Amino acid sequence: MSRTQATDFSEAGHLPKVGDEGSADPAGLPRQRRGTTPQMHGRYPDFDVMQELDHWDERTRELIVSRVEAVPQRTFFTEQEFATLTALADLVLAQDREPRVPALAFVDAKLESGRGDGYRYDDMPDDRETWRTVARGLDEAAGEPFAEAPVELRERVVGALADGSLSGGAWAEVNVTRAYGIVMRDLLEAFYSHPWAWNEIGFGGPAYPRGYQALGVDRHEPWEGREAFELDPVRDVKERGLE
Amino acid sequence: MNRSHLLLDPHRRGVPGLARMRRYRDDDAVDMAIVGCGAGGGVLAQRLARAGWRVVVLERGPFWDPDRDWVSDEAGSSHLYWNDTRIIAGEDPVEMGKNNSGLGVGGSMVHFAGYTPRFHPSDFATRSVDGVGADWPIDYADLRAHYTVLERELPVAGQRWPWGDPHGYPHAPHPVCGAAERAWEGARACGVTMRVGPVSITNGPFGNRPHCIYRGFCLQGCKVNAKASPLVTHVPDAIEQGAEVRADSMVVGLETDGGGAVSGVRYLRDGTERLQRAHAVAVCGYSIESPRLLLHSGIGNDHDQVGRYIMVQGAPQIAGRFPELLRMYKAPPPEISSEQFYETDPDRGFARGFSIQTVSPLPIGWAEHVLADGHRGPALREYMRDYNHWSVLGALCELLPRAENRVTLAGETDRFGMPLARFSYTRGENDRANIAYAKRVINQIWQAAGAQDILTIDRYAHLVGGCRMGTDPETSVVDADHRVWGVPNVFVCDGSVMPTQGSANPALTIMALAARLAERLAARRISDARRRAA
Repeated sequence: MSRTQATDFSEAGHLPKVGDEGSADPAGLPRQRRGTTPQMHGRYPDFDVMQELDHWDERTRELIVSRVEAVPQRTFFTEQEFATLTALADLVLAQDREPRVPALAFVDAKLESGRGDGYRYDDMPDDRETWRTVARGLDEAAGEPFAEAPVELRERVVGALADGSLSGGAWAEVNVTRAYGIVMRDLLEAFYSHPWAWNEIGFGGPAYPRGYQALGVDRHEPWEGREAFELDPVRDVKERGLE
Repeated sequence: MNRSHLLLDPHRRGVPGLARMRRYRDDDAVDMAIVGCGAGGGVLAQRLARAGWRVVVLERGPFWDPDRDWVSDEAGSSHLYWNDTRIIAGEDPVEMGKNNSGLGVGGSMVHFAGYTPRFHPSDFATRSVDGVGADWPIDYADLRAHYTVLERELPVAGQRWPWGDPHGYPHAPHPVCGAAERAWEGARACGVTMRVGPVSITNGPFGNRPHCIYRGFCLQGCKVNAKASPLVTHVPDAIEQGAEVRADSMVVGLETDGGGAVSGVRYLRDGTERLQRAHAVAVCGYSIESPRLLLHSGIGNDHDQVGRYIMVQGAPQIAGRFPELLRMYKAPPPEISSEQFYETDPDRGFARGFSIQTVSPLPIGWAEHVLADGHRGPALREYMRDYNHWSVLGALCELLPRAENRVTLAGETDRFGMPLARFSYTRGENDRANIAYAKRVINQIWQAAGAQDILTIDRYAHLVGGCRMGTDPETSVVDADHRVWGVPNVFVCDGSVMPTQGSANPALTIMALAARLAERLAARRISDARRRAA
């Protein structure tokens, strides 16, 4: 079931474990009308957290604005690694078209900085090495540059990465399940620290010094986003070129 | 007596008066050099300074200024954690860093959620009472008065507490957000009693610390000064009383005097190694760094006890989905909790128990939760878009101490020239049974609340043990006065001394232990502590 009908989010049928296959397809969600979300679909089409930045403390504002306006240049990964890992990131983050959150660019910057996360499994190399090994292993598993492989093959390889069943070559150098966890958590941190992703999920974002006062069930601050239960048929049809 | 809340500035968050802070020379032998300015070291420094001791605290991380250094942002807060590599091993390796390891003045309490429950009286005698774990050489009565005083100093807000040793709190309970309302309904419907709190977050002005504004970023450092950490609760008073808190100073060794005692601490500051002379040293670096420092210095390990019996709590989190918008990012993540399952119940088939608490992750935390439940790609994005419909409960399961769960020194060295810590951890049968039972109870709560879907992440929380206190040097590292066996003037004063952990968050008990130790040192009840007043 893809969402051809407006979804009532008080029900749970749109959730992957509750609904049937394809229930997570965002095709029927509204287009974002204010600000940007990744791929421009969202549940809060009139909520743009970046409209609130005058209410944030200066340090926080500088940091969040820089994520939108100052995307780091690739410095850590090679060009080929970056291409392979971009294809991986697009699949696991379901970013199939623009606008995309440039998650891998932020991961590149983190790895280049040398800042670790405080631990290393005794059967794993350093995280920087793990990332390079994953890039090499994806190309090996695809039998060609991963980014150029057919999408079905890419999905099969990523499925095998997620369930830890890749083996041989580069994959003999790491614990595959742990490598998947390290890669995913870096990508998710980059993706969900981006204000476009906050728009998509209706997260109010930084709230200092303003704070919150409407705390109860179904309560919201005047500036917080409302969930959209219905499409705006005129705009949505036009914007998706369905006329 | 503690005037910290009055010494802070009502309009700025940083600790005032640092330019006037007393400074000691390296060759000026102070009464006590304290290694680490977290829950243990911060309280110990304040209490000893009040008693007239000449104290220097050497803190590896920065002297935080919340206005300048902290942001309302998850990814932007990674500098609050101890991010240097620890090697993790064993059958159930415990991930370090943001989950359990702090840095800078205030220590891990800077990024802890804020739960400050007491331990139960039974926690101090689990070997005698339940036949598992270990008995402490002290008991609940030794800490009770310190708990009460500290709850006023932090201050702690919450409803009257019916579990353990029943007690009230100085600040009224906070309002709860929609996510906690749903959890509470579910708990009531299946007979689980929950209470608001106990959280060390101001509910109303407290001196120059303002009321909480419910922004939800407790784990990213409180920019409001509403949530307690030693940075705002004890360090201002310690400095006012003449203690020096020397930040950006990494202690790399304890210096011995050739006669079995310690004469100071070697530390790195601005790339230079220095030696701070001291008549006594208190190691307050927590469960990984305290054992690492003792092992590296060759101190206290005659019986191969240093680094052993490190514990974590099993901390699975289970999320329930509801029709309404709950927006769990609002209000502090710690809201309501239950200690109904804290004590042993023979019918459950395992010893000891667990507590249940709301946790309320922000988006990156929620993404890790969704990932752990097995989702990626479009499914992960959909659960993320659904964020505002979810409420999350976590368990804290008491996992039992095991000698083989320990810190040792790895072959590699870090940029300070110290060997890396290698932390090996493996759960036991009782531990697995406890965690599985706790998850069943939380699932029942969500079923009773009418949750439409459930997502689960298995994880750990907190650290204690590694330098445990006891009555016998062959089975412990320090005595009941926190003194390292066989060394007259080295003390360990942090969570590492705990022989068991209960299912309570450890911060308040670490502080209470430090307050008790300071009281005994100041009253000279500890013989031979080598204090030579200036």
